Amino acid sequence: MQSTTYAGWAGDIGALCRALATLEPLAASLGAADPAATEWHGQLFGKLAGQVAREPVLVAAVCGGTNTGKSLIANSLVGVPMSRSVPEAARTVHPVASLPRGLAARIDLGGLFPGFTPVAWTSDADALDAAHADRLVWREDPTGRQPERLILLDTPDIDGTLRENWHRAELVRNAADVLIAVLTQQKYNDAAVRDFFRAAVQARKGIIVVFNMVDWPRQRERLAGWLATFKAETASAPLAVYACPHDFAKAEAGRIDFYAVPELSGTAAGAAPDAPADLAAALAGSDFDRLKREAMRGALEVVLDERAGAGSWLDGFEDRARGWQAARQVLADDARVRVELPTAPREVVWNEIWAWLEPRRSALDLTVSKAYRVAGSGVMWAARAIGLARSATHEREDFSAREFRVLSQALTDFIARLEDACRRDERLAGILAQRLVQADRSAWYADLERRHAALPIVSDDFRAFVRGELDRFAKESPEMVRWIVHGLNVGAVARPAITVGLGLAGAAVVPAAAATAGGLTTLVHQVGDVVVGTAATLMGEGALGLTMAGLKPLLERLFAGWSAERGRVLAETLHDVVLGDAVEELDRLATAAARPEVAEARRLLFELKREFSRS
Amino acid sequence: MTEASTGSAAAMSAGGGVSGFDDAAFDALGADLAAWSGSLPEWAAARRVRTAWEQVEPRLDRARRELSRVLVVGVIGGTGTGKSTLVNALAGGVVTAAGDVARPTTTNPVVVAATDVDCSWLPLDRLQARVVRSDSPAVANIVLVDCPDPDTQSDHGPAADGTARPSDANHNRDLLEAVVPACDVLLLVATAQKYRSWIVARELAAFAPGRPLFFVQTHAARDPDIRADWHRELEGQGFDVPRIFRLDGVEAARRSAAGLEPEAGFRELVTAIDEELVGRAARRVRRTGAVDLADWFTREAVRELEPVRTPVADLAAGVGRERDRLEKLLATAVEGRLRASRSAWQRLITDELVDRWHGGPFAMFLHVVAGIASFWPRLRSAGGGLIGRLLAGQSPPAGGGGTWQTVEELGLGEADVEQSRSILAGLAARARLGEPLVGRARLDEAAVRTSVGTLLERTAAWLAAGIDAIVAGRRSRLESPVLRGVCEILFTGLLVAVLVRAGWNFFYGRLWSGRPVEGLAFLEEALVWVILFGLALRWLVFARLRMGLEGDIAALVARLPRAKLVDPLLADFSRAADLTGRFVARGDELASAAASMRAGLADGATGLGRLRGPSPS
Repeated sequence: MQSTTYAGWAGDIGALCRALATLEPLAASLGAADPAATEWHGQLFGKLAGQVAREPVLVAAVCGGTNTGKSLIANSLVGVPMSRSVPEAARTVHPVASLPRGLAARIDLGGLFPGFTPVAWTSDADALDAAHADRLVWREDPTGRQPERLILLDTPDIDGTLRENWHRAELVRNAADVLIAVLTQQKYNDAAVRDFFRAAVQARKGIIVVFNMVDWPRQRERLAGWLATFKAETASAPLAVYACPHDFAKAEAGRIDFYAVPELSGTAAGAAPDAPADLAAALAGSDFDRLKREAMRGALEVVLDERAGAGSWLDGFEDRARGWQAARQVLADDARVRVELPTAPREVVWNEIWAWLEPRRSALDLTVSKAYRVAGSGVMWAARAIGLARSATHEREDFSAREFRVLSQALTDFIARLEDACRRDERLAGILAQRLVQADRSAWYADLERRHAALPIVSDDFRAFVRGELDRFAKESPEMVRWIVHGLNVGAVARPAITVGLGLAGAAVVPAAAATAGGLTTLVHQVGDVVVGTAATLMGEGALGLTMAGLKPLLERLFAGWSAERGRVLAETLHDVVLGDAVEELDRLATAAARPEVAEARRLLFELKREFSRS
Repeated sequence: MTEASTGSAAAMSAGGGVSGFDDAAFDALGADLAAWSGSLPEWAAARRVRTAWEQVEPRLDRARRELSRVLVVGVIGGTGTGKSTLVNALAGGVVTAAGDVARPTTTNPVVVAATDVDCSWLPLDRLQARVVRSDSPAVANIVLVDCPDPDTQSDHGPAADGTARPSDANHNRDLLEAVVPACDVLLLVATAQKYRSWIVARELAAFAPGRPLFFVQTHAARDPDIRADWHRELEGQGFDVPRIFRLDGVEAARRSAAGLEPEAGFRELVTAIDEELVGRAARRVRRTGAVDLADWFTREAVRELEPVRTPVADLAAGVGRERDRLEKLLATAVEGRLRASRSAWQRLITDELVDRWHGGPFAMFLHVVAGIASFWPRLRSAGGGLIGRLLAGQSPPAGGGGTWQTVEELGLGEADVEQSRSILAGLAARARLGEPLVGRARLDEAAVRTSVGTLLERTAAWLAAGIDAIVAGRRSRLESPVLRGVCEILFTGLLVAVLVRAGWNFFYGRLWSGRPVEGLAFLEEALVWVILFGLALRWLVFARLRMGLEGDIAALVARLPRAKLVDPLLADFSRAADLTGRFVARGDELASAAASMRAGLADGATGLGRLRGPSPS
């Protein structure tokens, strides 16, 4: 056995299988063609992977449509009844393998026939047991006549109403080197039969045609026409052609006669034209090595095929991934909302600044400031009493209600944008529609409300952020701090606006406060347009020109940090509840083409092509 | 339509009604199905029903119009099963090529009819069919069609590698799919090799609805009897199989050509055709087929609607929930505003009351106080807006549409409404509802003007009526003459006491006893007391008016849901839920009507099978 011709491919085939197996689950998500439905996949995983490094045995399988007598023919080849032949169609649901003696101990049948669970034969009814799925029943040849490197199989049908049978037959076909095609005058030109054997021919498996149930010898002259049609449809050149006369009584008794039809197969030598031939002997005497080599080369050829091989599948994979990149861009561009938060209560920033300034101010400053505050609170009390002003608590409640309304509206807006994006891009629809349609949206709003209610107006995070910023500012601009200390001002208010959206990783600016909050990888707040300006100073304290270089940016930063923290409530609801893992999934798909396995698979295909052309 | 044959006319003239068949009821069912399936074209789920109906309607229509025409029997089955051989046997000679030379043998349909049967109504050109005349008694009163096979045409089209194959030119299945719609009855031929063919099963599932079937196993001379297993297989595919015929087509054709006595299986089939497809039976078959088809269609339609049944109910429930939520917001805001406007209420209730209280000193006192009070600046007015205007006794703002700002005082912000609409949009999408049946979460400007305007108008009318009722109720408490009389007497009593005291002083003290007059000091003091007493009395009167006002406001607000004020904001969702709910319910009704009509039919046929359940997927 010249196993070296293809044993050398083993390393690359194994690595290629591993790389492609990693990509397969991704392919389904990407919407790329299902590799399991392709011929190259069947040949790679169903034949090459299991056989390239194993002991070279020839796998011959009897295949054909329902009730064409496959089991009878298989039993005849083996010489003992291994698979029961019954009058009802499509009863063989599991392939049955006859192994030469001693092979079962040496070989891993599960690896040789992927997709099946090998089960030892107990009776000829095993193949009919519909209670179990995807079994491969095996039996060692009790007669001892089976050649030591030949495995013979009976397979389920390829055209019946049980589609599982088709699949099992295809798995056996993929693993096989030689197919014994059982044809009848009713079925030799059925589309399902043609398609099945055409795929085998493309993978250069040997085909032995057996015309069964022939009205012998009346129909002998018809065989040439039938065979010509079969050959033209499947592009096959059968190794041999046999005819089995229709004999109901013999079939009932489990016997069948094969007649060689040398004028059709071109093998003129052999038995006398009118004497039954021994197909089993002919099979045993064929050149196993050549057939095996051909079938292995044929399988690799299918994998390497430019138009329909693994490479073309990878092209489709990358193409789909590019589509997902575009989809992600659509989402990044469209799914963002600008949130105009209500005017922030002044004290959110100023109180923190006062607290920071307190230890830095003189006793006089503090006394004056306190006097102003006492006077101010007196004025405020009077204003509240006559209904001109509201209490701080009420103001905060009002602010909180207004702010929640704005956030809730932004959430609505965001959902509408997601819906629009789904309408524009069907990929996004595929990944998001389920969430947008199936989810209980009232739970989203409830989540937002809960998070908002739990967020204090000034959080510890923000306090720390303000102190940090002020310390940094004081170090950089000590003069400015003196100005603040001496010339007091409470007049700055901010009308913050933030944009909440889905940013491509690395493309977005994450403000300090949000960054320290953590937990947001893809969702970011882009803070902009925090307009800080002077408002009429109610308390009449000293004014400080806010246009003075240096201070405005500081205040903007402080308000921006605060706004970002408010917006984070919305971002978290969007991320945790609305989108869930959809964003991560989208990232995964958009970056699928850049996976190292894709490049690795391409390299391995190139290597294999080189080795194939050398061998 | 061109009517059927002269040859079959005799048989047809004997045709009568079918036991249990009510023509008028069937016509009504057809009309109902047509109306129902087309009643909601904006809904995707209903459109699918409509598309299915468009396939079914012409057949039902034809069944009604062509009641007397001979039946067309399509002979179908896999290639090599002996369809053509059987057709030849029935035709009593070779009318269509049959044999084992090449597969497929039949590439074009062959129509076999008696000489006197007019076949011009069959679209022969479109079907690429050939007509052959036969004098065989077996086809005297039917039209037989030898159909192409479904299993030799490839599913995938030409080969991917571009190589040509002979089968690229095979369009047998396409031809079959064109010819079967012209058939009334199907005769399915199978052999031991092909009775479990997947492709035949697939085609059969598509054609069988509304078409009675004969099942025939051929090749009886060669093949074992597989009828028991085929029976199980067909039952599994949803068919009622009363009988499977078994015959050998080759032998039947040979005997038929030689004029010999037919074999038993063939004879049984010919008898069954004669008994169940000819004359009165033909009408029965056609009507039963039509009812079967209507029944099948309604069951398929209900099955089609099954996935949206719960979402439609969820949408209706969602509309109710969101309506409640918005009403609660509205109620809370309205109640808060009404409660906070105490002085406005008092003015509203008392102003008119005072106006209408005349004829006594206390009335005069009230008028004086009201006159003075009218100069008092209204520091704490009820403010502008709808409620303020209504409580100030003014008419609500005139129409001209609404904006979100105008309803904000009613507690309904844009965000609240959009939240509800977004939640409903999600539920609607689940029920496969979209524009134009339902709008988007955010209303456009025109929609805001209309819906908010309507909301405002309705709320104004409802509030005005409610406030009027409260005010009227309050006023009625003071309408009582007794109360008025008591007030007047109490007030007048003090005045009288003051005057009597002044008179006593003057007449008795000054003139009789000679004491000096007390001067104006007494009158000043008395005036103060009169005013204080008047104010106290006024307070008591108004306190009686105010008592229980909050309860009245709460009762008014509790009646708010009945007024359906927020409905305009969710009108599209509410309408869509209603329409789709009714569509689904109507489908159920029609399915049950069709089922009971089918159950009411006496099934006279014994050899004809039918598709019982939904076609297997």
